[in-house]
Amino acid sequence: MRIKRGLTGLIVGALMLGLLAGCVGKNETNGGDNGGGAAAGKVKLTMWGAVPPENGPQEVVDTWNAKNPDIQVEYVRFVNDDDGNLKLDTALSTGQNVDLYVNYTLTNLDKRIKGGTALDLGEFTDYNIDEKMGEDAASWKVDGKYYGMPTKKNAAFFALNMKALDQAGLSVPTAWTWDEAREYALKLKATGFKYGLVQHTASYVDPLDSVLVKNGYVKADGTSNLDDPLVTKWLETLNGMMKEDATTPPLGEQLTSKMPVENMFLGGESAMINIGEWLIRTSNNMTEFPRDWKIAFAPVPRLAAQEADMVKSGGLGDFIAINSKSKNKEAAWEFLKWYADGGMMPMAAGGRLPSSNAVDQQTAIDHLLGDYADSYDKESLEFVLYGDETPTFVRSIAQEVVDLRAQEYEKFFLGNQTAEVTVQNMVKRHNDWLKQNQ
Amino acid sequence: MHKSWMKRQSRLGYLFIGPNMIGVLLFFIIPAVYSFYLMFTDYKFMSPETHFVGLDNIRRMLNDDLFGVAMRNTFVFLLAVPVSMGLAFIVAVALNKSVYWQKTLRALYFMPYITSGVAIAFVWMLLFQPTSGPINGFLRGIGITNPPGWLSTTEWSMVAIDIIWIWFMLGYNMIIYLAALQEIPEELIEAARIDGARPWQTIRQVIWPLVSPTTFLLLITGLIMTIKNFGIIQAITQGGPGNSTTVLSLFIYQNAFRYYEMGYAAAISWALFAIIMIFTVLQWLGQKRWVHY
Repeated sequence: MRIKRGLTGLIVGALMLGLLAGCVGKNETNGGDNGGGAAAGKVKLTMWGAVPPENGPQEVVDTWNAKNPDIQVEYVRFVNDDDGNLKLDTALSTGQNVDLYVNYTLTNLDKRIKGGTALDLGEFTDYNIDEKMGEDAASWKVDGKYYGMPTKKNAAFFALNMKALDQAGLSVPTAWTWDEAREYALKLKATGFKYGLVQHTASYVDPLDSVLVKNGYVKADGTSNLDDPLVTKWLETLNGMMKEDATTPPLGEQLTSKMPVENMFLGGESAMINIGEWLIRTSNNMTEFPRDWKIAFAPVPRLAAQEADMVKSGGLGDFIAINSKSKNKEAAWEFLKWYADGGMMPMAAGGRLPSSNAVDQQTAIDHLLGDYADSYDKESLEFVLYGDETPTFVRSIAQEVVDLRAQEYEKFFLGNQTAEVTVQNMVKRHNDWLKQNQ
Repeated sequence: MHKSWMKRQSRLGYLFIGPNMIGVLLFFIIPAVYSFYLMFTDYKFMSPETHFVGLDNIRRMLNDDLFGVAMRNTFVFLLAVPVSMGLAFIVAVALNKSVYWQKTLRALYFMPYITSGVAIAFVWMLLFQPTSGPINGFLRGIGITNPPGWLSTTEWSMVAIDIIWIWFMLGYNMIIYLAALQEIPEELIEAARIDGARPWQTIRQVIWPLVSPTTFLLLITGLIMTIKNFGIIQAITQGGPGNSTTVLSLFIYQNAFRYYEMGYAAAISWALFAIIMIFTVLQWLGQKRWVHY
C-alpha cells in the first residue's frame, strides 16, 4: 500500500513537472531561435504588418532575404482591427518575437511607446528621417522623437467618373468646398447615377478632423472644441445630401449593410467616391470591375470658406517601429532603411507609395497604376499625389473620442436627435473624457 | 482499514480531477481574483504605471450614461430567452407527434445552433437590409408601407438582434424539450384523454408541468448564455448605430480590448457577475412555485 501511495504521489508530481516543463520548454525554444541564429552569424528578424503577404510584403522580404543571407526576415501578418492590434500588443508586452512592427495610427503608436516597446531611433545617426521623408514626417514625432519611421505616402482624395463629369459639363476641381461638392453630386446624379457620392467609412470623418486640427480639439480653457460651427456645418451638409438630395446613401444603411462603396463607384452606381490610394488596388482589377471610363482625382473638399484654412487628411503612414526589446536592433535598422528607400516598391501596386525621396515619383506611379495607366486621368492623379501643397495631418485623437463622436453623429443621421443636441452631447462626452484622462 | 481505504479513494479522486482543477485554477480562479483586484486600480494594458484608485472605477461606472444604456439594452436582449423557449416548446410538441418530414424538420431547426456565428451575422444582415432585403420586401408585399429599418435604426436594432438570437437558440431549446417530452409516460397522456381533456388542456395541465424542470434548466442556462454573449452583436453592429445595441458584455469588451481600460472593464465585469448572480438566486428561490420534480 505504501508503494501505491508513493506511486500516486509520483504520478501527480510527474504531471505537475510535465506541465511546468511544458511552459519552460516553450520559452526556451523561443529564445533559442534567436540566440542560436545569432551564434551562427545569422540573424533572424520578424516583422509584423497588416498587409496580406501576397499583396507585396512576401515579395519584399523574399527580395531582401535573397540579397542578405546573414539577415533573414520573416513577415507575420496581423489584422489591423481591435483583435489584431491586441494580438500585436500582447506579443510586444510578453516578449515574443517581434523585431519590427507597423503602426497604422498614432493612437496605437502612443500606447506602444508608453509601454516601452518602441525604440527611439535617435540613436542611429546615418539616416535623416526629416530630410528623406519631408515635412509631413514630423506629425509622427512623439515628444520630439522618432520612435519609428513613416514609410508610405498617404493620399486621401475624391475619385470621379470622368465620363459623367464630361456629360455634366463639369471640370475636375483642384480645390473646392463641401457646398460645391454637394452641387457636383446633384448634377452628376442627374446624368444617371443612383448616387452622386459614396464615402469610405475610413474617410468619413476626415472633414471633422480637418476642422479640429486647424482650430484645436480643445479650447484654450481646456474644454472641448467639438462645438466649432464647422462641425454643425458638416452634419447639416451631409444630412441634406442624404435626406433632401438623396445623393449619398443614408449612413444607417451604409453601416449595417457594410456597403461595398468601391464596387459601387467602379460598377457605375455612384459618380464620386471619397477614398484614398487603396482604391487603385480594386480599380486595377479589370476582370472583376471592368469599366470603359477614366477615373479622375480631386482633393477632398473643405468645410472652411477660405482655401488657406484647409488642412487635409494625409501625411505619411505605415510607421514602422523597432521593438526596443529586440536582440537585433542593428539588423532591424538596416532592413528598415532598405525597406523605406525603395525596398517596399512591390507594395506600391496595392497603393502603398513610398514616401522616401530616394524613390523616384514616376517609378512609384508606374508601379501604382501597372498595366492600366491609360484608364486614369494622370494629370489630376499627379496633382492629388504630389502637386497639392495643402498642409496635411495624421489623426491623433484617442479611440474613445473617435467612437463617442461617431455614436452621436450616427444618432443624428438616423434622425434620432437634432444637430444642436448632437453637438451638445459630443461636447459633454468629450469633456467627461478629458476630465477622466487628465 | 475502512478509513484508510476512504483516504486512498479520495486521494485518487483528487488525482483524477487534478488536471482539470489546474485548468480551472489557472484560467478561471486566478484571473477572477486578479480582476477583482484590478477593479480597484487604474490599470491600462501597455501602460507602465498602475495606481490603486479605490472605488473610482465603480463611481465612474455609476455616473457613466453608457453603462445605463448598456444595462437597458442587456435587458431587452434577455427578452429573447423566454420567447425562444416558448416557441421551442410549441415546435417540440408538434414534432414529438408523428408528422411528415419529422426528422428533416428537427435537423433543420437545429441547424442554426451549429452554424458559425459570423456566417449567421452576414446572412441576417442581408435579410434585414432595409430597402432591398427580403424581410422588408415581404412586409411591403403584405401591405406594410413603412417597414422598420431594423439594424439601420436605433429603435429597431435591438429587436432585430433579438429576432436573430431567438432563431439561433430555438434549435437547442427544442432538442432539450423534445428529450423531456419523450420521457413523459404515455399512460399519463392516455389518462388525461380518458378523463376528457382536450389537446390544449393536456398540454397545459399535463405536459407543461411535467417538463417544468427542463424549462427551469433552459431558463437559467439561457439567461446566463445570453447575458454573456457579445460575439453576435460584435459581428453585426459593433454596438451601433449610435449605441443602440451596446450590451454589457460588449461594453466590457470595448473598454478592455479597444480602449485597454482594464481597471474599468474589470469593474463592469463584476457588475455583470452580480447581475447574473442575482438572477440565478431569484430563480432558485422562485422555482418552488412552479417547478415540479
